[in-house]
Amino acid sequence: MARILIPTPLRQFAEKQDTVEAAGATVGEVLIALTVRYPDLKKQIYNDEGKLRSFVNVYLNDDDIRYLNKDATPVSASDTLSIVPSIAGGARGI
Amino acid sequence: MVNHAQVTYPNECCGAMIGTIDGDQKTVVHALALDNAAEGPQAAFYQLRPEDLLRADREARERKMDLIGIYHSHPDCGAYFSETDLKNSCPWYSFVVLSIQNARFDHANSWLPNAEQTHAEKEELTWPES
Repeated sequence: MARILIPTPLRQFAEKQDTVEAAGATVGEVLIALTVRYPDLKKQIYNDEGKLRSFVNVYLNDDDIRYLNKDATPVSASDTLSIVPSIAGGARGI
Repeated sequence: MVNHAQVTYPNECCGAMIGTIDGDQKTVVHALALDNAAEGPQAAFYQLRPEDLLRADREARERKMDLIGIYHSHPDCGAYFSETDLKNSCPWYSFVVLSIQNARFDHANSWLPNAEQTHAEKEELTWPES
């Protein structure tokens, strides 16, 4: 079972837990197990097409899974997954 | 946050707000200054590295607190939530914008974007005067 760190604002969709354990051999399988258990959480991180929302990044320990093997990245019981948003902005464009 | 915004003037600064949440009330206890990673001119643009945000989340957990939001500055313009802010936001966090006029803090607002990144609600924001 891998650990998944739940960001503060999303804990309300995961029985107020800050960390959840879920089974799976790959990042994709772990995320499916997580979102099957917490369907309201799924709406926060996936869009209507079933893809991760544009601002959502997933880290396996310290590494962005986009630079590993994405959803197919292997996961072991000692691994930690984190859900991290992309954020930018600026004054231009009122 | 004010010091950070004034020191980085005329560029935009950015950072993470760590604190507590009690119902609808969020209290910032610690501001963690983060690098503005935007490539090119930073006078009207900021970008956070996700790995820095991951570090901020870990620091919040170590402090037994929560990562409650993001702050950034608008040099020589108001503390509105711009189209650029909205399109590059995330609906999970509060976004505090600090207006810096001629290198001095002028005013600030807090914003809560929706999931579709089409609208941001203004939140009540208060801070100590000193």
